[in-house]
Amino acid sequence: MLRWCDLVLRAAAPIVPDDIRREWLREWRAEFAYTAARAARLNKPIPVTCLTRALGAIAHAAWLRWDRWRIEMIWQDIKHSMRGLLRKPGFTATVVLTLAIGIGGNAAIFGAVNAVLLRPLPFANPDQLVRVYKTNLAQPNQIGGTVSPPDLVDYRRDNTSFSELAAYAESAYPLTGDGPAEQIPGAQVTGGFFAVMAAAPALGRTITDDDDRPGARDVVVVSHALWARRFGSDPAIVGRQLQINGTSREVVGVMPAGFQFPLQSEVWMPFKFTARDLETQRGAHYINVIARLKPAVSLEAARQDMRRVAARLAGEYPRTNRETSASVHPLREALVGSVRRSMFVLLGAVGLVLLIVCVNIASLVLVRAAGRGRELAVRAAIGAGRASLFRGVLVESALLGVFGGASGLLLAYWATGAIAALDPSVGVPMINQTRLDTTVIAFTLLVSVIAAVVFGTMPAWQATSIADVVSRIREEGGSTTSDPKRQRIRSFLIVAETTLAVVLLVGAGLLGRSFSRLLAVDLGFESASVQTFRVTLPDSPYKQPQQRQDFFDALFARIATHPGVESVGGNNGLPLTRFAYGISTSSVDGRTLSDDEQDALTLQIRLVTPDYFKTMGVAIPRGRAFLPTDRTGAGPVVIVNETAAKRVWKDIDPLGHELRVGTRLGFGGEQAGGTVVGIAADVREFGPTVAAPPTLYLPYAQWPIPYLTVVAKSRGDAASLIEPMRAAVRDLDPDVPIYAVRSMDQLVANAIAQPRLYLLLIASFAGTAMLLAAIGLYGVLAYAVGQRTREIGIRLALGAKRAEVLRMVMTQAGRLAITGIALGLSAAVLASRALRSQLFEIAPTDTLTYVMVGAGLLIVALVASWIPARRAARIDPLAALRHD
Amino acid sequence: MRRLSITAVGVLQAIANGFQYGFDVIDQTGLPSGTVYPALARLERDGLVKSAWENERDAHAEGRPARRYYKLTAHGARALADAAAFYRSMLPAARPRTARG
Repeated sequence: MLRWCDLVLRAAAPIVPDDIRREWLREWRAEFAYTAARAARLNKPIPVTCLTRALGAIAHAAWLRWDRWRIEMIWQDIKHSMRGLLRKPGFTATVVLTLAIGIGGNAAIFGAVNAVLLRPLPFANPDQLVRVYKTNLAQPNQIGGTVSPPDLVDYRRDNTSFSELAAYAESAYPLTGDGPAEQIPGAQVTGGFFAVMAAAPALGRTITDDDDRPGARDVVVVSHALWARRFGSDPAIVGRQLQINGTSREVVGVMPAGFQFPLQSEVWMPFKFTARDLETQRGAHYINVIARLKPAVSLEAARQDMRRVAARLAGEYPRTNRETSASVHPLREALVGSVRRSMFVLLGAVGLVLLIVCVNIASLVLVRAAGRGRELAVRAAIGAGRASLFRGVLVESALLGVFGGASGLLLAYWATGAIAALDPSVGVPMINQTRLDTTVIAFTLLVSVIAAVVFGTMPAWQATSIADVVSRIREEGGSTTSDPKRQRIRSFLIVAETTLAVVLLVGAGLLGRSFSRLLAVDLGFESASVQTFRVTLPDSPYKQPQQRQDFFDALFARIATHPGVESVGGNNGLPLTRFAYGISTSSVDGRTLSDDEQDALTLQIRLVTPDYFKTMGVAIPRGRAFLPTDRTGAGPVVIVNETAAKRVWKDIDPLGHELRVGTRLGFGGEQAGGTVVGIAADVREFGPTVAAPPTLYLPYAQWPIPYLTVVAKSRGDAASLIEPMRAAVRDLDPDVPIYAVRSMDQLVANAIAQPRLYLLLIASFAGTAMLLAAIGLYGVLAYAVGQRTREIGIRLALGAKRAEVLRMVMTQAGRLAITGIALGLSAAVLASRALRSQLFEIAPTDTLTYVMVGAGLLIVALVASWIPARRAARIDPLAALRHD
Repeated sequence: MRRLSITAVGVLQAIANGFQYGFDVIDQTGLPSGTVYPALARLERDGLVKSAWENERDAHAEGRPARRYYKLTAHGARALADAAAFYRSMLPAARPRTARG
């Protein structure tokens, strides 16, 4: 029995790794000897189980061998691959850099998409938060549409879908006393607001329904940031009085850090409606409504519910609510719905870049594998199986993937930082929340693994096919041309790369042309050297219109005396600031308009001072600008812009005609309007892509409201006026803050910031794509020429001209490039539709763009192939025949 | 660290109970040798057990070669305690018996 066991042990021993074999044998033998000794002591035969136990020794030996192999093999492959990669630093650097660009770009853009569109909003159960809009029955489901106070009360009372519904209106308020005067962004909110947001205060309490009641104490809730910044996180802040907008308000609470809604708010105050407001203001739409869905209520059910409520109101109050409905949209969609499409187009574009990167790497790896042909062939010849060859190439791909992914992550870290630091004027909400979090890193890892595995192993598998290796041995031995199959795959990769690059270049080209059209738009004013800032006078001591008038008169007089100022004026809302103040026209030349006519003739109202037009360079082609004598007491006068003139009076000259709008302003509470004394050139108030709205200018001195934006034209730099103007305000009243300090040039730049950023991103993707395609083409051609050295040498020796050789290589490249370009242009016709909403006065099928991209890429392709082609033409026939 | 398999827990527990030689572990756990030995090798590689040779003189006194014995490392003892607690927690909790009839 013991002998049989020993036989098994001896048979299994060679499997055990050399260095532990003796110990292994000794251990097993000792056990058997012990078993035998014990059996002898008890006078029993050696148990049969010994033999089955001996069989277990085989499993033990196999395990030890496998365990050793695993470590050895992979470690050796890694060492071997590292050495190989370091020997070819050019190849390694190209692949790692290419991968880094592809992966880094993707991670960065995905980071932005994640912040804007995917990551949950920073509120409790954000999926339940919705915005409610009052809409036009023609487009009942649209996003946007403010609500009037009486509507709000009815929405809140009659709906069955929301656990709470509240209103807010954003604004900014002067904060004075204790410290320098400052303008604080904030919101008025109704009692249910904090319940909707499900936000608890960090200190004190929030605003409740009791605070909304007329006659309730004036209170305020402050943000964590304001509390820390201005009040040094004083825990005794609750109960303190703050001077906000000239009113003393008691601080009742502090919100926790991170609570920010509406975005950027720092103070929240009760929204109070008087009984009279609720009676008369059903037509006054100026408040935003936010609500929280009850847990079991679907969005669709809430929509139906609100449509029902709106329909009842339309029936009950036909004068104001006729033809209106209500829509419900998730808060996220309301915040970022407008940029969703462009974000996904960007993600798609950067995905294309990654695809090009992968294709490029595939062709590089293929070229490299072919360059290692001799080595692989020799290893195959001495018995290495395909699996072992394949493992070697795979480990190399994985190493490249790891290095590329790591560099990509580094690039992404830098890029997400840059995105988060973007100026908010790009108008993408929450883009500043972009960061490299675990989701983004996981996404990056996934992308790099897929990229490395798919595009590293496919060519590796192909390169290590035994048939391929055999053919390569033959080839190295003296064949004259390269293997047509491998050449075909490389050609396919080049065509694919070119196709993808063309799609991106067409996109960039279209956006570029659109952007240049955007820049060429005449905005109707001159922005150079104009500095602006905004002033809002607190209610006290500026309750009386005359007090406001006096303040601004004094301010303009002071600023005008500064030697650097050419002229100074004021306006209640500047162009390109998203300021909108539209009022319907109520009467023209004494005739009261019908309801329908009134609705069709909404004018943007701008209250301006006499020198406003001169300062802003707005032309007055007919009539005159306002004069200092157009004041209270003098006859009311107005200026209309060209669009308004055409709309109201068609072909008649409007000078001397009269017009009134449906709002009461100023001293006597009379309807705003007057006699037309001038016609102003059109100004694109809402940005270069939106036609100038019909606009009515009123002299500020006849309708003195409590706020104005001051504009001053500098004799030099716009910014040189900031300090003198700030000082002028401070000297008049240190409790009046100035804010929104911007130059007109900045406003113009902001207005085109989003398309510019978009163009910049797409163009850099396209540029990268083109570069990669060129590198790919060059690499493949250079390799093909190297492979054909002998063939070309023979041709030259037999009398072929060098020009013919040059043409032959260039033709090969040209054929590939033209195929790719043709496919790419066709694909671009389909893909560019996604850009339609981003294009201004350019069709997605703009012929010039397509022609330019096609021609441009062909030139790049020919340049990239010129170098290898010339090398081919310069081959020395004698050296070539000795080659290899 | 990965949780120990039931086999590993059995092997470690046998060693902890004083059955330190390979065949003793096999007898104690009832597991086949083709399972116990690779398990021992793996536990040793991972530092949960350490092996050594018994005193030559003692063995020769019994007329046999010295055997290899295994003992738990501190790390192994901890891992065994953790894993045992985990597997115990998966058993149905003991309930107080209710009187019947």
